[in-house]
Amino acid sequence: MATLNLGGKEVEIDEDGFIQDPEVWDEDVAIDLAATEGVDELGEDHWKLVHYLRDYYLKFGIAPMIRKLCKETGFDLKYVYEMFPSGPAKGACKVAGLPKPTGCV
Amino acid sequence: MGKTRSYKAQKVVDLMKAKTKSRQIMLSLESCVKCGQCIDQCHYVLANPDDPTFAPPYKADKLRKFFKAHEDWTGKVIPWWVGARSIYTDEELEELKDVVFGKCTGCRRCSLVCPMGVDMATFNGMARNLLYSVGIMPEGVWAVAKDQWEIGNQMGVLKEDYLDTLEWMEEELQSKHNDPSIKIPIDKKGADIMYTINPREAKYDPRSIADAAEIFHFAGADWCMPSEGWDMTNFGLFVGDPSLGAAASSRLYTAAQELGVNKVVISECGHGYRSTKCEGPNWAKMDLDFPMESSVITMLDYIKQGKIKVDKSKNSEKVTYHDSCNFARSCGMTEEPREVLSLVCSDIQEMYPNRQWNYCCTGGGGAMSMSEYAPMRLKSAKIKAEQLRATGAKIVVTSCHNCVDGLTDLIKHYNLDMKVTQLVNLVANALVVPASKMPKVMKEVSMPLAGKKILVIDDEPDVRIFLTKIFKENGCEVFEAPDANQGMRIIRDKNPDLVSLDMILPHKTGEKLYWELRKDEKYKKLPVVIVSGYTKIDDPKIDFDAFLEDKGIPAPQGFVEKPIHPDVLIETISGVLLEKV
Repeated sequence: MATLNLGGKEVEIDEDGFIQDPEVWDEDVAIDLAATEGVDELGEDHWKLVHYLRDYYLKFGIAPMIRKLCKETGFDLKYVYEMFPSGPAKGACKVAGLPKPTGCV
Repeated sequence: MGKTRSYKAQKVVDLMKAKTKSRQIMLSLESCVKCGQCIDQCHYVLANPDDPTFAPPYKADKLRKFFKAHEDWTGKVIPWWVGARSIYTDEELEELKDVVFGKCTGCRRCSLVCPMGVDMATFNGMARNLLYSVGIMPEGVWAVAKDQWEIGNQMGVLKEDYLDTLEWMEEELQSKHNDPSIKIPIDKKGADIMYTINPREAKYDPRSIADAAEIFHFAGADWCMPSEGWDMTNFGLFVGDPSLGAAASSRLYTAAQELGVNKVVISECGHGYRSTKCEGPNWAKMDLDFPMESSVITMLDYIKQGKIKVDKSKNSEKVTYHDSCNFARSCGMTEEPREVLSLVCSDIQEMYPNRQWNYCCTGGGGAMSMSEYAPMRLKSAKIKAEQLRATGAKIVVTSCHNCVDGLTDLIKHYNLDMKVTQLVNLVANALVVPASKMPKVMKEVSMPLAGKKILVIDDEPDVRIFLTKIFKENGCEVFEAPDANQGMRIIRDKNPDLVSLDMILPHKTGEKLYWELRKDEKYKKLPVVIVSGYTKIDDPKIDFDAFLEDKGIPAPQGFVEKPIHPDVLIETISGVLLEKV
């Protein structure tokens, strides 16, 4: 398991770059994670999406369906992909501090 | 008395007797003559030339030694000569795990050249199964297999969430075409087609479901999606476990039988296609009275029979095709996807080597769910990256979801300027909707801007929503981008007829983007209308004029000031677009 300096602290990440302990996540960590996904700046909508993902994960222990994410945030699918070009599974979930999604993704 | 053996190692020894009964496996275990022809076929070897542990015979010998020790008379009589060696500890099993899960994607490229007919993938799958039977496997593989056993699909998608997603895609399509008659039928008894997908499509990226539905709709197909048994993927293949293989595939077959459909169509997925069409009936031991086909064949038939019309100029970027190991090498699907591609894309560059000789995407065999091997996987992807780069294509197309992810990952790692997509997305994008299939309202109201593609670049979501609404009401197809870079990407991808451009944008200003467009041979005539929030008091036009003069570029085709008045906007846009025509 490697560590990476994210948001000014050493954070454990897996080999795909997902953080291991959701407790260490904060907005500074998110900003640095976003940079690894090619998102240089997190705007208001990015934050809305990221906080939704994190809250959902903390509550249910899994990533939400993209359907739920779009419904709850009011963003359409295309816009989600515009905000996180690597997609909701790899891009947005990583920035929100979720573990790597399981399965063919 | 020999050495003592751990419980798990003893279990593996016992299981081996039962697992080595098939001719294919016996042949693969017995017949390797170490001729070495397979070695430089493997992408792991090519990317790690100094490490002999990646060579297929070396990897296979890890299991072969063990087999010789227990199942082969030579191993009993002359063990030192044939290298027979049993397994005793859990650590040795872990070591074997790193070889069979971490160092082979089961792509079978080595088997193509083997004069003895060693089937490395089946052989490796058997070794995986031995380990899986005693609970030794990468954590990610375990999570997926568990969901497939327990919930019935590999991502643990609940039935209500799956159905809700289909309904959502149905609504999106209805609003896109302004046609409430477009449906995604569920559980339609006696339908001609039952369409099955990979759970990732429902969970993370349902655009491919909408694209397929759009194609079925305009082809006039009698189709449906099942509410159960809809997952055509099968981790039974990746863990070499026929029981899981049977559990997953029989669910799908049972759904098809209960609905009484004529055929099952499988969305573009390499291992899913192979599992469902080729391996599944044997695992499930079921007599099936319906054919199964890849959606690639279905789409090709629709185009060839004239059931759908496509316009290849809608996909004008240079594309290349990546053959998936399961789809192409194992199932022979090499020509049909290329035929579809040639019908829906205008600029195609072949990749070399290709077809059955193509290199693995590096994510095969479930490798994408094994994070622990990601660094080795990406290092070994060097071969694939070079192969992709040499095509000069902007888009790589593949008929496998696993390849989509494997390629996406390596494209990012090696900084290639490429995107990955599938045929279903390209076919849907190339669809030409005949006037007879347009809803009546569209025909009755005269809309001069109907069908025009407009790109809105504005960093304020409210403004984008407002502009999009106005343009859509006038029949335009609208794309949105929150900044200049994404705008540029859409311009390349979608070839809009006109760009509505804001001046003040994050990262790169509208001015800069405008300048870049005018410098670009391809886009220097692309109509641009500046929609800016500046008032005259801010006096920005002087600056912009000076900017234009300084750069020696012509003024944009139009200006609209914010706050935007819809009539003024449409008048300006119509002036630009219709005058151009």
